[in-house]
Amino acid sequence: MATPAGAKKKADAKVIILGDYAVGKTSLISRYIDGSFNPHEPTIGAAFFLKQWGSYNVAVWDTAGDEKYTGLSSFYCRNAGAAILAFDLNTASSYESLWARFLPLLDAAHEDCLKVVVGTKRDMLKETDREISVDEAIEFSKEINKNIDLSRLKGDPYFETSAKSGYNVSRVFEYMFQYCLPDTKLQLPRDTIVVSNAAQPVSSRCSC
Amino acid sequence: MSIKAFELVPAIERVHRMSEKTKAQIECMDVCGKNLYIGTTDCFVLHYMLEERSNASGKVLFHSNSQGQKHLALKKPIAQLKAASALNRILVLCDNTVSMLNMLDLEPAVGGAKIKGVTQFCLNESPVGNNPFCVEVCVALKKKQVALYTITEDRINHVKDMSLPEPASVISMDGHVVCAALLSQYCMLDYETGQQTDLFPIDTEHMRPLVKRVSREEFLLTGPSALGMFVTSEGISQRPPLQWSENLISVGYVHPYILAMNDEFITVHSILDQQQKQAIPFQGGVIMNDYDGRIFIASTKEIYSLVPVAWEKQVQGLLADKRTQEALDLTRNANHGLTRDNFLKKFKRIQQQAAFIEFSRRNLAEAQELFKNGQVDVRELISLYPRLMPSTSNFQRSVPGLHEIADVNQLARGDKQVVEEYKNFLRRYLEDIRGTVNARGFKQEIDVALLKLYAEINSPELLPLIEVDSGCDLKDCAEWLENYERHHSLAMLCKYHGDNDKALNIWSRLVNGDIKDDLFPGFEFVVNFLSNLSDHDLVWKYVEWALEKDQELSIKIFTERPAQEPPSERLRPDTVIDYLHRYPRAVVSYLEYLVFQKKLEKEKYHTHLAVLYLENVLNLMKANGVKKEHIDMARSKLRTMLQVSNLYRVQLILGKAKEQEMHAECAILYGKLEDHEKALRILVHQLRDYAAAENYCIVNSEGRDLNYRKRLFHILLSVYLDPANEKKELLVEPAIDLLNSNVTDFDVAKVIQIIPDTWSIAMLSLFLRRAVRTNMHGNRMTHIERMMSRGENLLVKQTSIEDMREAIVMNEEKPCAVCNRTFSDPSFVRYPNGVITHIHCAKNKHVCPVTGKLFSTSKQS
Repeated sequence: MATPAGAKKKADAKVIILGDYAVGKTSLISRYIDGSFNPHEPTIGAAFFLKQWGSYNVAVWDTAGDEKYTGLSSFYCRNAGAAILAFDLNTASSYESLWARFLPLLDAAHEDCLKVVVGTKRDMLKETDREISVDEAIEFSKEINKNIDLSRLKGDPYFETSAKSGYNVSRVFEYMFQYCLPDTKLQLPRDTIVVSNAAQPVSSRCSC
Repeated sequence: MSIKAFELVPAIERVHRMSEKTKAQIECMDVCGKNLYIGTTDCFVLHYMLEERSNASGKVLFHSNSQGQKHLALKKPIAQLKAASALNRILVLCDNTVSMLNMLDLEPAVGGAKIKGVTQFCLNESPVGNNPFCVEVCVALKKKQVALYTITEDRINHVKDMSLPEPASVISMDGHVVCAALLSQYCMLDYETGQQTDLFPIDTEHMRPLVKRVSREEFLLTGPSALGMFVTSEGISQRPPLQWSENLISVGYVHPYILAMNDEFITVHSILDQQQKQAIPFQGGVIMNDYDGRIFIASTKEIYSLVPVAWEKQVQGLLADKRTQEALDLTRNANHGLTRDNFLKKFKRIQQQAAFIEFSRRNLAEAQELFKNGQVDVRELISLYPRLMPSTSNFQRSVPGLHEIADVNQLARGDKQVVEEYKNFLRRYLEDIRGTVNARGFKQEIDVALLKLYAEINSPELLPLIEVDSGCDLKDCAEWLENYERHHSLAMLCKYHGDNDKALNIWSRLVNGDIKDDLFPGFEFVVNFLSNLSDHDLVWKYVEWALEKDQELSIKIFTERPAQEPPSERLRPDTVIDYLHRYPRAVVSYLEYLVFQKKLEKEKYHTHLAVLYLENVLNLMKANGVKKEHIDMARSKLRTMLQVSNLYRVQLILGKAKEQEMHAECAILYGKLEDHEKALRILVHQLRDYAAAENYCIVNSEGRDLNYRKRLFHILLSVYLDPANEKKELLVEPAIDLLNSNVTDFDVAKVIQIIPDTWSIAMLSLFLRRAVRTNMHGNRMTHIERMMSRGENLLVKQTSIEDMREAIVMNEEKPCAVCNRTFSDPSFVRYPNGVITHIHCAKNKHVCPVTGKLFSTSKQS
């Protein structure tokens, strides 16, 4: 299959958000892209955003949570470098759907696709009513990512967010972009070395 | 949703053989240039020539001509036909068999090559091979297979088969990728690598799968839930899905629109924002497709075309609906076919219209951007605000109008706050474009509008606007500023336009407190202005008023004239002094300015100033209860003046000073008269200020030679030791101090003469010791100097002897080195390097005339 660079002429990486109906996927993305919180109509099929991150373009795909679109979501997962598995912190069933419905969809994504588990609507959660414990969710997030190396990322691939207040939202995306995109700082010196290596033999040939 | 992107126009209203009675219907068609082919349910292929003409009003009409028909004698419908103009053939699918007919006479191709078992076929729109007379065709077979063929004029070559998990019903091809709808899913097949990529599942029982190639390596598929899914040949999507209606029959694409037909409507969607733009009711449609950028539709018996409405019309429609963003997007992406310049011109006008729409909807940020990008004639905008245009302007809004706004009051419907918002917007916008290309030519309009806006809110920006390169017209703005009581700004504007008299008039009223303005900086500002004003008549007009207000400040009008101002008769110092007569403090300041700053060396001014100082001191002394410090200050001022200046009439002052027993002043004055003894006597006897006496000697001997200084100190000493003095004991101590002082200088012999015999050696020991040491030192230094001179003299003598020792033989053959003539005279010049010349030829004794060598000058002297 094609590499992420070849997959889309403009985008350098593709991330996708999956999760049950009405857990707040579109709200999470529009909070990150537009910085605002507005009510959204249910997404039909899928929606698409392009985010500038440093010198990179990242394609952010928003999928429809409704079960009838499951077939399409799998298609949209193709080539994704990272995925958000979103669930509503106040609804235990949405957490269970992640494992049952959405994780299999990611078979179409990259083999080393980072799966970030994100609990939404943190602002509505009362600690006393919590049904999914933080430890449990972290355990789950580590389990589904066990084939990839998480050591170079800061923290576990689990976040609790609120699109309403903006709490933790950009951290989720930064975390994923850090994983998907080579660090610019690291890339520069590598390029310089390549250039100098190429130049040296040429110059020695010329002098003969 | 009201954009009108396409118009339905009948193309062939009565297809041959399709009367109401017959059951035959249109099954498929293809258009290739002017040729239109129709395949019918009763196995006929019909050929028409179709001509597109537009009538006088620009409406597109079609004229058709039947060219011929062919019955394939199979009693089956013609399922598919496709013209391949490169081969001069049409490919026909009938009874699951692909065969070829001649394009023009519809006769079967020679050889009769066929492909059997075909359910559907498609042409490769981006062929991989580079033979122009060869067409790549992909066929879906009844069995679970697709096959690839290349077709030439009379031959069909099988290239490759690819097996599938299920039979394919619809296929489309681009490059080396085939996109196929199978029974339960779509898939992408790469026939070069054999790779099969599953896309997504479909339910073919309830929906007709469609595969439409929209651009290079991109297909549009019908998905579940009435979605139109974009897929690239790599099996991924780059655009969000389209939402369209259920039961689609056909899909067409003319950039930037996707058209979708179901049994009731044709809907038009933009590929740019995925939104539906238009719905055209159309029942009984059978086929719709794009053919070389034209859309044709077939119902069962008729052919229609969807003619694109000119993009400008579409855009105007959108603008009329206030859908600016869509209008701009459409404009940018329209297939306009205009030259770049022409397009930009039109685009600008659309931006301008959009700008006014956003403006009227109070989307001011968007409006600002559009106003700027569209380079709106700024007058169009300003004229929306009542009374902001300069009254002299004869601006007319452009025809046809860019907008339908009467003015902002109408937009605001009387809401003050909204009007305010609009005004703020205008202010920001004008500030923003001021000095940029958009403002070119409209400086006056912009500045006047800004001035009026600033004046209304009393903005501090008002002054800089007026002061720096203002385009503000005086008459119109003056009235406005007056109404809003921005008096200072009005004055500044008058000043800017050269009406200084009016400006000063306003300022004087401001200073007097008749009128008020917070921006007015105060009296000092007026004084500064006057002091820089080159119109001296006007200066005189306001000088009196200013002096009455504040003498000391106002005198700056005369003293702080600009440096490069040419001297003028009206401001001659004498005239000014005469005028200032009534203002004593002012006159002092002015004289000080003349004497100390301008350093005018005129006895008259110096004396005048000295006298004024003296009078001041006298007045202070006469008055009761004046503090001593004040008197001291005044006197020290006087003394400084007396000391520094040499030009005043000493006798005049001295007379007065003596009368008043002003000893310190007298001492200075005597000093000026070189009557040092008198001066020092006053200092010593009257003032008993010995330090001052010593200082007097130093100050008065400054710039004179050492002896003068010695003399002064000697006079002082003799004053101290004056035998006639009764209280001379008192002066012994200062005398000794003077003798021992480091700064003094004495002729020791003379000192010893006047020192009283009664003094003990001990008293004088310090002085004597130093005197002896100094003399001794001097003696030794002189000795050394003498010896050194003697040595130098000896050296010179030696050189001279050496130079002369060598004999020089002169004869007639020896010529002068310069003029080359012989010597007739016995005297000649010999340079140290042996060059011999005439005396008159030796122009410089330090430079050899032949070699140019420089001889040391010090040695010669």
